[in-house]
Amino acid sequence: MKKQLPPHLANKLFEWYCSNTAIEDLLGDAEELFYQDIKRMPAWRAKANYWKYILALLFSYSVKRRKQKSAYHHFSTTTFQPSMLKNYFIVATRNIVKHKFFSIINVIGLAIGMSISLLLIAMLSFLWTYDNFHVNKDRIYRVITNADDKQTNREFASTPSVLADKLQNDITGIEKVVRVNSSLSVNVVKGNNEIPIQGYFVDPDFLEVFTFPLIKGNRNAALNKQNSILVTAKTAEKLFGQTDPVGKTIELKGIGPVEISGLLQNPPKNSHMQFEVLAPYQMIETIERNDRNQILNNEWEYRNSYVYLLLTEKPNVNKIEKFLNDIPKQVYSLKENFSATFELQSLLSIAPGRELYDQIGPDWGYASLSIFIILTLLILLPACFNYANISISRALNRMKEIGLRKTMGSQQHQIFNQFIIETVLITLIALGLSYYIFMIVRGEFLSMLVSSDGLELTPDLRTIAGFILFALLVGLIAGVIPAIYFSKLNPIQALKNKSVGRGFAKFNLRKALIVTQFALSLGFIMGVVIVFSQYRYTLNYDFGFAKENMLDVELQGANPRFVKNEFANLSAVQSISMSSHILGASSPDGTRVKDFNGDSVEVEQFFVDHEYIQNMHLSVLEGKTFSDDSLAKKCVIVNEEFLKSFKLASPSEALGQVFTADGEELTVIGVVKNFNYTDLREPIRSFFFRYDPSKFQYANIKVASNDMISSLTDMELSWKKIESEKKFTARFFDDEIENAYSFYFAAIKICGFLGFLAISISCLGLLGMVVFTVENRMKEVGVRKVMGASVWSITMALSKDFVKLMIIAALIAIPLAYLFFDKHYLQTQQYYHINIGPFEIIASLLVMLLLGLATILSQTVKAARANPVDTLRYE
Amino acid sequence: MIGYIGEFEELVLLSVASLHGNAYGVTIKEVIEKQTNRSISIGALHSTITRLEEKGFLKSWLGEPTQERGGRRKRHFEVTHQGKVALHEIKSLRDDLWKLSKASLSLSK
Repeated sequence: MKKQLPPHLANKLFEWYCSNTAIEDLLGDAEELFYQDIKRMPAWRAKANYWKYILALLFSYSVKRRKQKSAYHHFSTTTFQPSMLKNYFIVATRNIVKHKFFSIINVIGLAIGMSISLLLIAMLSFLWTYDNFHVNKDRIYRVITNADDKQTNREFASTPSVLADKLQNDITGIEKVVRVNSSLSVNVVKGNNEIPIQGYFVDPDFLEVFTFPLIKGNRNAALNKQNSILVTAKTAEKLFGQTDPVGKTIELKGIGPVEISGLLQNPPKNSHMQFEVLAPYQMIETIERNDRNQILNNEWEYRNSYVYLLLTEKPNVNKIEKFLNDIPKQVYSLKENFSATFELQSLLSIAPGRELYDQIGPDWGYASLSIFIILTLLILLPACFNYANISISRALNRMKEIGLRKTMGSQQHQIFNQFIIETVLITLIALGLSYYIFMIVRGEFLSMLVSSDGLELTPDLRTIAGFILFALLVGLIAGVIPAIYFSKLNPIQALKNKSVGRGFAKFNLRKALIVTQFALSLGFIMGVVIVFSQYRYTLNYDFGFAKENMLDVELQGANPRFVKNEFANLSAVQSISMSSHILGASSPDGTRVKDFNGDSVEVEQFFVDHEYIQNMHLSVLEGKTFSDDSLAKKCVIVNEEFLKSFKLASPSEALGQVFTADGEELTVIGVVKNFNYTDLREPIRSFFFRYDPSKFQYANIKVASNDMISSLTDMELSWKKIESEKKFTARFFDDEIENAYSFYFAAIKICGFLGFLAISISCLGLLGMVVFTVENRMKEVGVRKVMGASVWSITMALSKDFVKLMIIAALIAIPLAYLFFDKHYLQTQQYYHINIGPFEIIASLLVMLLLGLATILSQTVKAARANPVDTLRYE
Repeated sequence: MIGYIGEFEELVLLSVASLHGNAYGVTIKEVIEKQTNRSISIGALHSTITRLEEKGFLKSWLGEPTQERGGRRKRHFEVTHQGKVALHEIKSLRDDLWKLSKASLSLSK
C-alpha cells in the first residue's frame, strides 16, 4: 500500500502564511495526529481532519504571537528604554552638528515659518484672558440685537435702552440691569484749552456688576449724583497732573460744571470696555436739554446703547431671551419693513466673539481671526513640508544607521520615535530663533492692527509654555512624514545602501510641494506689487481739480472773512477760497433733493464760497460761479452726474432749474465737469456745491513761494492775529490725500512681510533640494566634463528641472492671483482702481524667478565648475 | 490575586505535569481528551499553551527530530515553579471554598 501523506496544499498554505516564523513543532504535531488518524479512519477523512488541524492552528493565538515575535530580533523589546532616549538624543545632536548646512537650512526655515505663528499664539493667549478679571464674569450677559430692515440683516452689539426697564421690572432671574451709553464724547474746558475725553454714561449699578476698582471715592455713591463723574487715573493725570483730582470741579463743554467724585483704575487692556470717564446715565437728559439737536437717548434707537445684565445664580437664559423677543412684536409692528430679535451674549464670548456691528470696544471677530489663522498656516505648513522634503531626500545618509538599528532589534515604532525626537530637537532650536524674530516684529505687528490698543503681546509664562508646546507640535507635524518613511525601511536594502525605489510617487509629491510653495510666494509678491501700483495710481490720479501747492487751514471757528482778509495780504498767497470739506479726502454729507415733479434723489453736497471753483481749477461746462452776496445761498452748482440723475439732457438745459432740498428752493446757476469730490473708494454720484459761510471749515490757500518754511511762518503770524488761542493747523493737500490712502501702506506691509516669509521658506526648500541633487550627481557631472561638456551646458542640465517647477508654479499662481486681486480685492477696496496689466504680472514674476534662479545657480554653477578629477576619484 | 488561571489553562497545566517530561502538543491533547472525554481543537490547545508560556507557568524546549512527524522536531513543555505555585494556589482556594460550603453541597438528602 502506498504510504499516505498529509495534504501538500495545507502544508504549503500554512508555511506561506507563517513565512519565516518558527512553526515546525506545530506542523509536526499536526502531522503526528494525521498518522494516528490514518490508522483509524479512511484516508479522505484523515485528510479532512488534517485541514481542520491546520486551519485551527492558522487562526490560533499561538501562530499570531509567534508571527509578531519573529518580526523582530530576539533582542528586541517593546518596553520603554530610557537609555535609548539618550542614544537618540546623542545621534540627533551629532547629525545636526555633522550636517551643518542642512541643519541651518532646516532651523532657519522652521524659525521663519513659526515666527508668525508665535504672533498668533501670543495674540490668542491674550485674547483668552479678555474680560476674565470681572468677579461676576460667569453671570454677566449682554443683550444683542438682530435688526432686519428687509434689505439687510445685521447683528448689533447694541440694543435699545428701553429694554432695560422691562427687564428690570417684568421678569425674574435677573439681579441687576445696567444701561451703558457710549456716546459720551466731550471737551473739558480748562482755561483756554479744550481737552477731549470719551467715556460712558452708565447706571449706578455699573460698578457693582463690573469689576473696575476705585482708587478713591465711594463705590456705592459714586454714580448716584446728577452732576458728578468718575475719571480714570490716566485721564486724571491728563487733566490735573499729579494732584489729587477727587472733589475738584471741571467744566464740560455743553454740559456745565461737574464734580469728580472718584478716581478709577485704568480699565485693563483685556477689557472689552475702554473709557476715560464714567458719567451717570441721567446726564444724558442734561445734554439733551442744553442742545436740542443732540438726541442721544431715543429709547428705541439701538446705536451706542448697550444693556448688560447680571443674572442670578443658575441663570435661565432661554427664558429671558423668550421674554425679550416678545417685546419687539408689540413695538416695532408700527414700523414698516423692520423687525428685530434679541439674544443674550455672555460676557466671556464677547471678545473674541461673533462679528457684530456697533461694538462698544475693540472688535475681535471670529472671521478676522480665522483669516489670520489661515495666513499663519499658509506660512507654517510649507516650512514643515520643507523639513520633511529635505529629510527624505537625504535618506541615503541615514540608511546604514537605520538598517543596523533594525538588524539589532529596533522596531518600527522605535525608529519612528527616534526621528520624531530628532525633529523636535530641531524645532526647539528653531523656536529660539523664531522667538527672536517674534520680538523684533511684535511692535510693527501691533502698529498695523486697528484694535492694537486692546492687545498686549509681551510673553508671559503661559504664552511661553504655549510656544514650547507649539514647537513640540510642529516637530510632530514636520517629523511625521520622514519618521514614517524611515521606520518602514527594509533593513536589508537599507544596509546595502540602496535607495528605496518606490520613489516615483514620492518624487512627484516633492515636486508638488515646491510648486505649491512658489505659487504661494508668487501670490504674495503679486499682492505687494499690485497694492503698491494701486497706491501710486491713487496718488497720481487725476481727480479733476488742482491739488498742487494747495494748503488747507482749519478754521476752528474763526470768521472766514477775517481769515481771508488777513491771509490775502501775504505775498506767498495767490488765492484763497473757503470750503466745508476737503476735496478728494473727506466724505460729504448727503441730502435729499426734489425736482418740481416731486422725484427725489440723494445728492451729496459741499459748501464753498465764490472763489472756490476757480481756485480749485474745476472746469465749468456752463453757467457761472456763486456771487458774493446773500443771493448765493439760493444757488447751486451741480455736476454732470446730477444732470443724469434728473434726466437733464444738456448742461444748458439745467441752468435756471429749481430744486428743493432741506426745505429751501435752489436754482442751478452752473454745471461743472465730473470730478472726484470724495475719495476714490466711492464712485462719483450726484453732487452739488452750495454757498453758506456758516458751514465753512477750511480755508484753501493756493501758495506760490520758493521758501515754503518762511511762508508758513508768515501765515502762522497772520493766524495769531485772528485766533491767538488756537493752534495754527495747516496741511498740504497732497499730504492730505496721501494720508487718506495710508491704509494701503498697511496692506503693503502685511503682504510684503508674508511674501518675504513665504519666499524665504520656498528658497530655503529649493536650496535644500538643489544641494542634494547636485551632491548626488557629482559623478555624472565629472563624467560629462571628461567627455567634453561645457560649464554652461552642465549648469543647464542641472538647473532645468527646477526652473520647470518654477514655471509650473507661475502658471498656477498667476491666474489665481489675478482673479483674486482683479475681481475681488481691488474692487472692494476702491471704485476707481487699476486694471492689473502685464507690468504687475511680469514684475512679480521677475522677482520670483530672480530669487529662485539665484538659489539654483548658486549651487549648480559651483558644481559645474568643479574639477572632474576630484569628483571622479574613489576614496 | 489568587486563581488567575482559567479552567482550560488549569487542565493543560495539570496534563503537562502528569506527563513527566514527555509533554508535547499531541500527548497533551491525548491526555486531556482521555481524562475529560471531550474533543479539543489543536489550535485552542496551542493558543492556551502560548498564553501559559507568556504568563511564565510553562517553559519549553525543542527536542530531537522524529520519523513519525516528517522529520520535524517536537516542542516539549514543563511546568515552571511559578506554574506549580499557581496550581497549588488554585487548589487550596478550591479546598477552602469546599470546606466553607460543605453543608450546602452535600449530595445526600
